[in-house]
Amino acid sequence: MSMLKTLLPSFALLRSRWLGCPLALMLTSTWALAQDKRWGPGEPASDYGDRFYDLFWLITILVSVAFALVVVLLVIPVLRDRARPGHRASFDHGKSLHDKRLTAIISIVTFIVLDAWVLVIAMKDLREAYWAIPDAKDPQTYRVEVLAQQWAWNFRATGVDGEFGTADDILTINELVVPLNRPVSFNMTSKDVIHALFLPEMRLKRDVNPGAINEAWFKPIKEGDFTILCAELCGFAHYQMYGKLVVLEQGQFNEWEAEASRLASTAFDADDTEAHWAWDWQE
Amino acid sequence: MRGISWQGLAVAFGALGLLTSLQTSDDDNPHARAPRGVSLVVTEGAYLRAPGADWFAERAKAEPGRFTHDATLAGGIGGWVDAKGEYWFVEMEEGEWVYNQWASPERLTAGRRDFVQFCSSCHGLEGDGYGRSAQHLRPTPRSFQQNKFKFTKVIADLPSDEALLAVIRRGLAGTPMLPWDLSDVQLLDIIQYIKSLSPEESGWRDVYSQVGDAIEVTEDPWVDIKERAIVRGREVYHGAASCHLCHPGYVTNEELRVIRKDPEGTTYRENLTYPALKDSEYEVLGRATKVMPPDFTWHQLRAGITTADLFQTIASGIKGTAMPQWKGALPDEDLWALAHYVEDLIVSYKDQRPERSAFMGGLRTSGDNR
Ligand code: HEC
Ligand code: HEC
Ligand SMILES: [Cu+2]
Repeated sequence: MSMLKTLLPSFALLRSRWLGCPLALMLTSTWALAQDKRWGPGEPASDYGDRFYDLFWLITILVSVAFALVVVLLVIPVLRDRARPGHRASFDHGKSLHDKRLTAIISIVTFIVLDAWVLVIAMKDLREAYWAIPDAKDPQTYRVEVLAQQWAWNFRATGVDGEFGTADDILTINELVVPLNRPVSFNMTSKDVIHALFLPEMRLKRDVNPGAINEAWFKPIKEGDFTILCAELCGFAHYQMYGKLVVLEQGQFNEWEAEASRLASTAFDADDTEAHWAWDWQE
Repeated sequence: MRGISWQGLAVAFGALGLLTSLQTSDDDNPHARAPRGVSLVVTEGAYLRAPGADWFAERAKAEPGRFTHDATLAGGIGGWVDAKGEYWFVEMEEGEWVYNQWASPERLTAGRRDFVQFCSSCHGLEGDGYGRSAQHLRPTPRSFQQNKFKFTKVIADLPSDEALLAVIRRGLAGTPMLPWDLSDVQLLDIIQYIKSLSPEESGWRDVYSQVGDAIEVTEDPWVDIKERAIVRGREVYHGAASCHLCHPGYVTNEELRVIRKDPEGTTYRENLTYPALKDSEYEVLGRATKVMPPDFTWHQLRAGITTADLFQTIASGIKGTAMPQWKGALPDEDLWALAHYVEDLIVSYKDQRPERSAFMGGLRTSGDNR
């Protein structure tokens, strides 16, 4: 028994080290990964991307401040009221009016400062950006039908005739080409299981469900190649379900669209009806 | 709540869990869940056509220890044995001997399990090429009841295990057929299972089928003179080989006429700078689909774009499609030249938007190619 007693403090030390090691590892590796472009989400490349960024940082800062505050408030009494000669412990259950009032005030202030603030901004972002699906009749809107499957993204664009379900529809697998500075609107469904279209640089993520048509949109404001991912575990090869998003400046895009559309008409087989999967655009 | 022993209850639950976990039947492997009513067990083994005797002798020399000859097999006729399957002589009507590989029910069951888990969403639970995720998909996932393969780069009727393994490991770029990084054991079991789906008297169950490896990569005669290879390749492409009948021609009408030494005023197919849709033998729901020959400056190729890959693809052709086998029809030197030419088209123009539109646009505006 006495043996155990002498050992106890070192056990505690060990415990704290066990806790400290992974914590330190977590922090350093997160930091290290964040330094590498491939691991972070990259700079936003869509017009509403900044909202996402701003909200993300607001939440991170608020939560960090709250965390620091709580830690300080915990450490103060631990130090001030630690066991020492001449001090007696006393207990209460915080049932006095003073304590209740204090708890209520802290809760309300926390709610207003943290939750309500974030909630108001989030609702505003949803209303003004994410749910503000662009008008499909506006010729500026570039519409894309997305058919997800295990394990690939099938994309269909209207081609130059602006209509779905015609010979010149541009069909691509795991690659999507869109015009710069025009709203891109998605109608998405799945053949098999739930997938999620994730365009990290565009700050767009939305589930794609079999039997339903989900909508999403974004407006690219940067040219270049970006990432398309599946963000819903959809089976064994989920990790291989990714593609490339190419944003082209309008002139280059028009050229691309004309050529892709022309090649699509060449590849179109009118009799192969099983291969025709376009649907009427849903709004 | 007195009277209840909580520890007792915990032990009881634990025991129940243990019991149910012990009770998983063969058909109920949680790692290979199949829809209800679909059996994962294969009860019958199969004799599957294997490459010929020369192939074994060659392999035994190249990789000592992989195959051993056993003179006692097949009633004293002798055969080759490898770590997994057994091979031996089987008599044919005409008195010829052919090699077969024995795929045991256990091995086929293992293959079927992995096939159902990894491949069936596209290739179908019974390998008919029409799984849930294959709907509306072109090119269609392969039906393993057709015994035809496009990109195995073999000349024989059927690909060897190695050739299939290579295709499955590499995947087919630009289609949902992924590069599968399963273990060799798993993939070879799946391959035996796929082969066993041949209908009676056809494919791997037909004694007359030839099985072979991917075409050998011969020595590239143009390594140090690539520029000349490209010039030669362009000539063969539009001349002797007439690749432009299906693939786009990458020349103007006038240039084509000069290359082909045709009389002035000769006209060629419409839309010369675009590919032409072709019939294929690959079926979905019993109906043959069409395939489009790729435009090398635009489309993604399936079977690799290194010079050696292209040499093999062009030499072996693409079975079941219009793309013919060129080995034998053209000397190896020209096949290599074609490979260099196609590679150059890809490297210079694919995904190089301004370069491509200048190149193709130039061809189209300078003649009556449109
Ligand atoms: C996401 C769908 C999908 C999955 C899953 C899939 N395949 Fe395929 N597979 C295809 C498609 C599509 C093709 C045909 C491509 C073509 O014709 O260009 C194909 C073709 C093939 C071919 C023929 C290659 C040739 O040269 O003709 C083999 C063999 C094959 N798959 C094996 C497998 C195996 C084994 C698995 C499981 C480990 C698997 N596939 C999983 C879609 C899939
Ligand atoms: C009669 C029509 C036809 C002719 C002639 C033809 N091809 Fe093809 N080729 C095709 C078709 C069809 C495909 C597409 C097969 C598929 O993907 O299913 C193809 C595909 C290819 C591929 C792509 C293979 C891959 O990995 O995706 C290459 C390379 C190719 N052909 C080279 C040539 C060359 C070089 C010539 C001339 C020596 C030629 N072809 C002549 C029909 C033809
Ligand atoms: Cu997915």
